[in-house]
Amino acid sequence: MKKNAAIFIYMIFLCIAALAWNESAAQSVNRLREIVVTTRRPLKDIGVQKTDIDSAMLKENIALSMADILTFNSSVFVKNYGRATLSTVAFRGTSPSHTQVTWNGLRLNSPMLGMTDFSTIPAYFIDSATLLHGTSSINETGGGLGGLVRLSSMPDIHDGWNMQYIQGIGSFSTFDEFLKVTYGSEKLQTSTRIAYSSSPNDYKYINHDKKVNIYDDNHNIIGQYHPTERNKSGAFNDFNILQDIFLNIDSQNRIGLNVWFTDSRRELPLLTVDYGSDTEFINRQHEHTLRSVVSWNHSTAKWHTALKGGWLNTEMKYIYKRQVAAGGIMKSMTDSHSRVNTLYGQADGGYTPARGWYITASAALYQHFVRSEDRSIVTASGDNAIVGYDKGRVEFSGSASVKWQPYDRLGMSVVLRESMFGNKWASLVPAFFIDGTISRRGNIMARASVSRNHKFPTLNDMYFMPGGNPDLKSEHGLSYDAGISCDIGKSGIYGLDASVSWFDSYISDWILWLPTTKGFFSPRNVGKVHAYGVETHANLELQPMKDWFLYLNGSASWTPSVNQGPALSPADRSVGKQLPYVPKWSASLTGRLAWRSWMFTYKWCFYSRRYTMSSNDVSITGNLPAYFMSNISLEKSLAFRPVDLQLNLAINNLFNEDYLSVLSRPMPGINFEFFISVTPKFLNKKRKQ
Amino acid sequence: MRYRIHLPLLTILTHLVIMMTGCMEWDNGPDNDGPFEVRGSGLFIINEGNFQYGNATLSYYDPTDRKVENEIFIRANDMRLGDVAQSMTISDDGRGWIVVNHSHAVFAINTETFKECGRITGLPSPRYIHFINAHKAYVTQLWDNHIYIIDPTSYAITGTITVPDMEPENSSTEQMVQFGKYVFCTCWSYQNRVIKIDTETDQVINSLTVGIQPQSIALDANGKLWVLTDGGYEGSPYGYEAPTLCRIDPETMTVEMRFRFKMGSSPRSLQTNRARDTLYWLDDDVWRMSINETRPPLKPIIMSRDTKYYGLTIDPVNSEIYVADAIDYQQQGIIYRYTASGTFMESFYVGISPGAFCWKK
Repeated sequence: MKKNAAIFIYMIFLCIAALAWNESAAQSVNRLREIVVTTRRPLKDIGVQKTDIDSAMLKENIALSMADILTFNSSVFVKNYGRATLSTVAFRGTSPSHTQVTWNGLRLNSPMLGMTDFSTIPAYFIDSATLLHGTSSINETGGGLGGLVRLSSMPDIHDGWNMQYIQGIGSFSTFDEFLKVTYGSEKLQTSTRIAYSSSPNDYKYINHDKKVNIYDDNHNIIGQYHPTERNKSGAFNDFNILQDIFLNIDSQNRIGLNVWFTDSRRELPLLTVDYGSDTEFINRQHEHTLRSVVSWNHSTAKWHTALKGGWLNTEMKYIYKRQVAAGGIMKSMTDSHSRVNTLYGQADGGYTPARGWYITASAALYQHFVRSEDRSIVTASGDNAIVGYDKGRVEFSGSASVKWQPYDRLGMSVVLRESMFGNKWASLVPAFFIDGTISRRGNIMARASVSRNHKFPTLNDMYFMPGGNPDLKSEHGLSYDAGISCDIGKSGIYGLDASVSWFDSYISDWILWLPTTKGFFSPRNVGKVHAYGVETHANLELQPMKDWFLYLNGSASWTPSVNQGPALSPADRSVGKQLPYVPKWSASLTGRLAWRSWMFTYKWCFYSRRYTMSSNDVSITGNLPAYFMSNISLEKSLAFRPVDLQLNLAINNLFNEDYLSVLSRPMPGINFEFFISVTPKFLNKKRKQ
Repeated sequence: MRYRIHLPLLTILTHLVIMMTGCMEWDNGPDNDGPFEVRGSGLFIINEGNFQYGNATLSYYDPTDRKVENEIFIRANDMRLGDVAQSMTISDDGRGWIVVNHSHAVFAINTETFKECGRITGLPSPRYIHFINAHKAYVTQLWDNHIYIIDPTSYAITGTITVPDMEPENSSTEQMVQFGKYVFCTCWSYQNRVIKIDTETDQVINSLTVGIQPQSIALDANGKLWVLTDGGYEGSPYGYEAPTLCRIDPETMTVEMRFRFKMGSSPRSLQTNRARDTLYWLDDDVWRMSINETRPPLKPIIMSRDTKYYGLTIDPVNSEIYVADAIDYQQQGIIYRYTASGTFMESFYVGISPGAFCWKK
């Protein structure tokens, strides 16, 4: 209590200091983007449906993960199992493993699970984030039946030495620290970023799933109520360090190195319906991950060549221990270890033979070595035994494309992609993209694309013990999309871009893990899914008068994702129904209003009802009602002679909504975090002058 | 600069504010339901739900009126049943005891109103409950080498029975039957024994190795025990073998007869009829065998029809057969009702993964 009071007083003090400060000393950096009215677009983007995440939103505060960013800045579905708990991302009504994720070219999807946990990716480590929807992902990699999230760290490095330190203090004893040191010259740019977050994460919530009984002396229940409980076993402790180095050898050649290390210790929270005591259990995972990419880029007027190599190492330990005797003696019920080593190499080339032509080729090779085991098994003879698998797998994905712009207003692109996993080659994936300018006034442009795609089964799908199914087939699909966009603006006054897209895709041999009569789960190719819908997106930047700046970014999706069968039995009522946990409607809105050195941000998202049953029963346990979420933050920049300061107060779940994203996973109510950012100027004499 | 109030804009803004601040609606049901008051005999269906999703439910079926009520626990009590409902047993005083494995709890309900009477918490991983008398019951556990002793009147844990030669890491005690003063219990997951417990001393006094993973147990009219083993799974470090059906003499603790199933099959849910002279079990299809047979049946009594049979029970009055189909384990499962001779009567939907039944007399 004393600690909370001290934190509160500290925040009040800083807010007063900020308010009392002379406005004219600081100026925010909010500028309208330049509206470039042109019909000659980058050839590599012909027909591509993509969403660029506003870089300012990536840097809103250090406590945000990429899951938070995508929740409020796109209409993809972020399935959130709790605060600082597994968060997955799914495009266009597909599953999380259908979303491919790359970081500086290296694919981050776990070769064991196929999906990516976005809650472990700190947004402050990402400088550029782009979503490639549906067929557009074919330009980058295979397997993105829903789409691709492309992340990269390319810091905007100023000349000389620069440093920034941010500290955050928030509800539930949450502490965030961030340090960035950069050095930049014409020849060399280097950036080091360190982030550390920790919290017992024991937020309070009203448990609607439980009741506490009040008994009389004869053990008769005389009263009941829904208790207010704390999130049990939810503590986290995440450390991340990222090093980026870029060396410009000459005007045509650049080499780069990106190394990112994560040490994450997280407890796995108890369900709302768990009557166990968190002191009797340990349910925890510990992850070490090192991702590294070295790159060489060579550019001339006609040629672009890039070579990349990388290594990814993940060591994950999951332990479930339970007290087995008085005195706190614990034994492991599950002692699961996994080690993933991935070697990565990629070569890309682009050639412009003539005006309006662009030819590309790409080849990416991954060699995975995966060892996954549970060490808690005891045999009939009393010996310890290991259950698991130890497998290696090669994955190859290569593509060639020709992009052609016969007229200024028209562009076409053909991509052929071939993929291989293990010793199995997928059939050739063709894709065709076309776009054209309908009207130069308003930059109204139409685009369309069609492609096939494949997604291989993961190593767990094939070899997990028990239940792995080595006979699984790849999931494969056919997708179409078409859309129209506009981009208008008036220099220095406003800029508006908007788009609407329709998509239609059929995915066959969908893989689903189902229980077996032996008591464990096993994956099977179960059928066909038809996912279709409409995505809209709009972005407004407005400078209504001097010192004022307004930014609005909104998106909405309608994504029916329908099981097309075949029916598993005559009693199967899932055919023709929406897939479980896929909302038909989702939307997000972010607004930013800046005045001089002040900035107010409002973020909102909406997910419609999610069915929890494949038959879409609207029973009490068969659905999760729709919910809205609102977050706000207020930021003040202060410029002193030796340092720049930024103060930021963020309020999450503004209306204290009592909600669930997944059944039985409690979510926090209203919560606060205060950040102070310090950027010393003495390190950079050039800037000071 | 002066501004006029723009009414349409104001309306839109008001709607936006309402939309952005709207709350998720919690629906636990009881507001729309009158209180339950069921009389006579009936069948409880225990729907496991999905592991880690807390969506286990309880259904009640009246065989006379042919009427089913689903989600009765949450509708009667305004709270969820929990995560992975495993089994239910009705004690002599008429209370129904639902064992909810991954919620680490056992709930007692009034079997007419479905209202909770009390609960036992603090159990490591409960599976089945067996009543010895009005003041003592045993609760078996997964991942614990103790069977818990509870007092059903005070809802208190009063002691434990340590199972010898069992490491806590992969301990398992499962189904129980009583013969005289002895309780016989299968030890299932990564185990291979049937243990014998003296209910007066609450001690394990004997055990018999029967085969890999004995899952279910039944007592026949001749006072013999029948045990189904599932044989484990391919690649298991504990071993993998053909499942078996064994007849055991409970006094001498010896296997008198053993039938082997084909390798890789998954027999489960061993049941008897009221006279306890006929055995039933699931193995893709529904199988039936007289206890006096010396060879296993060649044909099932009920054939699978693309079904995923997940639970089985026999009406204790007329030997009608009820078999649960989990379909895809993600939707309401279906119960098929057959006559004693295996003729289809009707079907009705219940909850996700119906795995166990309990008859109310």
